[in-house]
Amino acid sequence: MTQHVTEHDVRDIAEYTRIGLTDEEVAQMTVDLNAIIDSLRPITEYDLEGVEPTFHPIGGLSNVMRDDVEEPGFTQDVALENAPKQQDGCFLIPSILGEGGDR
Amino acid sequence: MSALDHAFACMSASDIRAGLAAKEFSAREIAESSLARVRALDGATHAFLETTEALALEQAAKLDAAVASGEADGLGALAGVPVAFKDNMNLAGTHTTCSSAMLANYVSPYTATCVARAIEAGGIPLGKLNMDEFAFGSSTETSAFGPSKNPWDLERVPGGSSGGSAAAVGAGLATMTLGSDTGGSIRQPGSFCGAVAVKPTYGVVSRYGVVAFGSSLDQVGPFTRSVADAALAMNAIAGRDPLDCTSQDIRTDYTANLDAGVRGMRIGIVPAFMEAKGLTAEVKAKVEEAAEHLRELGAELVEVDLPNAQAAMSAYYVLGPCEAFSNLARFDSVRYGYCDPGHKDLGGQYEASRAKGFGAEARRRIMLGSYLLSAGVYDTYYYPAQQVRTLITQDYARAYEQVDCILAPVAPRTSFKFGEVSDPTDMYLSDMFTISINIAGNGGMSLPVGLGADTNLPVGVQLISPQFKDESMLRVAAALETVYGPAPVAPLFREGADFKAPATIPDAADAVPGVDLPGLATESDVPGGVHQASSATERELSERLGAAEVVAAQVEGEAE
Repeated sequence: MTQHVTEHDVRDIAEYTRIGLTDEEVAQMTVDLNAIIDSLRPITEYDLEGVEPTFHPIGGLSNVMRDDVEEPGFTQDVALENAPKQQDGCFLIPSILGEGGDR
Repeated sequence: MSALDHAFACMSASDIRAGLAAKEFSAREIAESSLARVRALDGATHAFLETTEALALEQAAKLDAAVASGEADGLGALAGVPVAFKDNMNLAGTHTTCSSAMLANYVSPYTATCVARAIEAGGIPLGKLNMDEFAFGSSTETSAFGPSKNPWDLERVPGGSSGGSAAAVGAGLATMTLGSDTGGSIRQPGSFCGAVAVKPTYGVVSRYGVVAFGSSLDQVGPFTRSVADAALAMNAIAGRDPLDCTSQDIRTDYTANLDAGVRGMRIGIVPAFMEAKGLTAEVKAKVEEAAEHLRELGAELVEVDLPNAQAAMSAYYVLGPCEAFSNLARFDSVRYGYCDPGHKDLGGQYEASRAKGFGAEARRRIMLGSYLLSAGVYDTYYYPAQQVRTLITQDYARAYEQVDCILAPVAPRTSFKFGEVSDPTDMYLSDMFTISINIAGNGGMSLPVGLGADTNLPVGVQLISPQFKDESMLRVAAALETVYGPAPVAPLFREGADFKAPATIPDAADAVPGVDLPGLATESDVPGGVHQASSATERELSERLGAAEVVAAQVEGEAE
C-alpha cells in the first residue's frame, strides 16, 4: 500500500478540520485514510485527456437574486436559542486573545 | 374501536382523502389512532426518534374544519395522510438531530420546504425518523440513537441511510415519509423494506432546510406503498423554491400517465449490471421477471451499455467526502450543536466538540475530504472525478437515445443482519447500481416486486429515468404494479400486531433548544456496543473501497 499520508500529515489535517484526535486515533486514522486513498486509484487511471469536468449534475443553472426588499428574518432571540453559551444577546466563546488565545 | 384495528397509516393516500371528504372518519381520528399505533408498535422497529402530537392535532383540526364547512373539494392532495420526515429535515419546534450526538440538542427554528409542502398539501405530521449519522451509511447502524429494525425481519437492517423512513412505511406506521438520497439512501432502504422509494432528478425537490451532505448529489424523495401515492407525494413536494437555487420550475403532474401502460415504450437493460459479480440469484431472477412482465405488457426491451458506470463508485468516494467536508465545517460549537464544556480557549473547544460530536464515519469523511481538496492533491482526485462525471453523464445520454427508461437491480441482495460482515464486493456493487444515478443527476426509484425466492425478504427493482423525465419511471412502475400489486405492510405489523412493549418516544412538546433529544444510545443499548458498530462501519468503508478496483476489473473483464 502506498503511504499517501503520514501521521504528521494527519495531525495537520486534524488541526485544519478542528477535530481533536488522540495519538491512538491519529495512528488509526492514518491507516484508514491510506487504505481509502489507495482504493481511489482507479480515478487516477482513466484517460481523461480533453474531457471537460462536470461540477454540477444539471446544466443551465444561474445565480439567483431576490428583490432587494426588506423581509423579516430570525429575531435575535430565535437566532440565539440553540446557542450553547450566550451573554447579552451575543454568542459567547472563550477568550481568543492572551492566555486563552486560539492556537 | 382499538386504534390498532383501524390503521389509517396502512391505507393509501387517495383512500384516506376520499374517506375524509365523505366524512367516514375525521382527521382527528386519523391523527390520534396513527400516533397510538406508532407508540404501540414502534418499540419493535425504532423508526421514530420523536413524535409531533401537537402539530398532528393542529393539522387535523384544520382539516376537520375544512370538511365541516363544506370545503372538502379544496382539500390538498395529501389531506389526512399520516406523514413523517427523515431527521435531517427541519420542522420548526422539533429536534433535527441527523441521528448525531453533534445535533442531539438542536431544535429547529424553521421548516424545510419539502416538509412544509407535504404539510400544506394536507399531510398529518407524525414525527421525525431515524437515519445513519449525517446520512453516512447504508443500515442505520451509525445512528447515535441506535439502529432501526427491518419490519420484515427485526433481526435485520432496514437499509440506509433513510432507514427509518423506509421502515415506517414498510411497517404501516406512516402512509408517506420523506427521505434523502446522496448515493442510494432512498432506493436501497426502499428495496430492503419493500416500499416504493423515489429519488427524483437532482433539482426537482428543494433541499432548503435539509441538512446538507453532498450538495451536488443530495435529493429529497418520498417513500410510499403504492406508485400512485408516490406520484401524489411528488406533486406535493416538487418544484421551484426561491430558497434553493438548484430547484427547478417543475409543472409536471406525476399522476397524469400512471395508467398509460408501457406499450411502445423502450426499456433498457444493462448487461454488465445483470452479470455483475455479487448480484444474488434471487435478485437477478426478480429483475428478469420484471423485464419479462414489461415485455408482456407491450414494452420493447433493449440492451444498453453504461461503460463508465463502474467508475461511479470511486468518483463518489472522492466527491462525497469533499462536499461533506465543506458542509460539516459549519458545526462550530458556538451557534448551535454540541459544545464540549470547560475549555478556556476557543481552539480547544472547537477540537473537543467536533471530536466528540461527530461519530467515527463523519470524522473520517471530513478528514478525507480535506485531504482530497488540498493543494497538489486536488488535481489527482477531485478534478478527475468531475471529469469522470462527464463520462457517466454521457453514457446515460447515449443510453436514453435508445430507451425511455432503464430497468436494473437496486441492491445485489436483500437485507442483511445487524453486524453481519458483508462481502465487500456485494456492498460495492450495491452502491454501483444506485450511485451512478446521483453522479449523473437523473431520477431513479425502487419498486417492490415481491419477496426473494431464497431469503423470503423484499426485493426492489430500480427504474431509472432521464433527467427531468421522472414521470417515465413512475409510468413504468405503475404498469409493473398492475402485476405485483401495491406494496403490502410487513406481516408482523398487520392487523392484530402487538409487541407487548410500547415504545417510549419523545414528543416535540418537550423539545427545548439545547437539551438533548432523549434516546442517545449507550454501549448497553446496541448489541456489541456502540463503539463496535462504528468499527464495523469503519471496516465497511475501507473494505468497500478496497474492493473497488478488483470488481471494476472483473466487470470490465466480463464485458470484453
